[in-house]
Amino acid sequence: MGYWTTAAPALASAFVASLVEVVEALTIVLAVVALRGWRPAIAGTVAALALLCVMVLTLGPLLGLVPLHALQLAIGILLLLFGLGWLRKASLRAAGIVALHDEDAIYTAEVAELGAEVARRATSQDWIAGMAAFKAVLLEGLEVVFIVIAVGAGRGLMVPAGLGALGACIVVLLIGAAVHKPLSQVPENTLKFVVGVMLSSFGVFWTGEGLGVPWPGEDFALFGIGALFLTTGLLSAAAARRVAAR
Amino acid sequence: MSVLRDVLEELYSMFAADAWLSLGILAIVAASAAASLLVSPLAGGVLLLAGCLLTLAGSVLRMAIRRK
Repeated sequence: MGYWTTAAPALASAFVASLVEVVEALTIVLAVVALRGWRPAIAGTVAALALLCVMVLTLGPLLGLVPLHALQLAIGILLLLFGLGWLRKASLRAAGIVALHDEDAIYTAEVAELGAEVARRATSQDWIAGMAAFKAVLLEGLEVVFIVIAVGAGRGLMVPAGLGALGACIVVLLIGAAVHKPLSQVPENTLKFVVGVMLSSFGVFWTGEGLGVPWPGEDFALFGIGALFLTTGLLSAAAARRVAAR
Repeated sequence: MSVLRDVLEELYSMFAADAWLSLGILAIVAASAAASLLVSPLAGGVLLLAGCLLTLAGSVLRMAIRRK
């Protein structure tokens, strides 16, 4: 029971956060497929995944050398910077101050941009398309790697966090392969809001653990912190909507 | 080089997309560390949580006012 009090939120956070990132990467990869076919798309994706694996295999063992409290503090601060940034942006999108992420519009823009670049260069068109897929998977994958390490390394939860991310990849790839178009129906801002709440909660929790804070209720404090972030995010979005409407 | 530049830009945007928010978080962590040492660890935890919640609300409202 004690293990799953933190393992379940870690798995869920990694799953939902990775879902958002993989959906964004899939949009670009599908744009590459539409322009140049599967070969450069798969080559770019596999190359990026290989590079991400190298990063994880290189950095992973180094984390074991860092003392636990220092690791929790460093990761907690990074999670606060990352998670509160997501929650802030999701609140602003919910308030209508920042435009919502539109996968269909991004797909159309990417096809047009990539098509123009491919047309400009007579040679190595597959290379340009493959590089677009490579960059998309690498950049979105970097965030997935960070999230897995951040929610998992603080207390030996890399396996549930990794399984959450892997589950998200499988779900998105299966749906993407079936429908063969950007997953624009995914409620991306709601997911980002939830992820922002979860990552910010882990950020406060790990930072506090790193500073030696004896959280009341121990691991269960994570749920109380999450409820406070959720409430603050929703109230901030409502207040921002009122300010913008004035 | 373009890939490396994109990776560095991505890392920057991951952690410091809004400079004021990032500075605010770092200041709160520093204040919480001081409170943990000088007052009590629990006081540091309360300051950390309350500070992060207020910084979030302040950052969202600041952006809403700027975009009016």
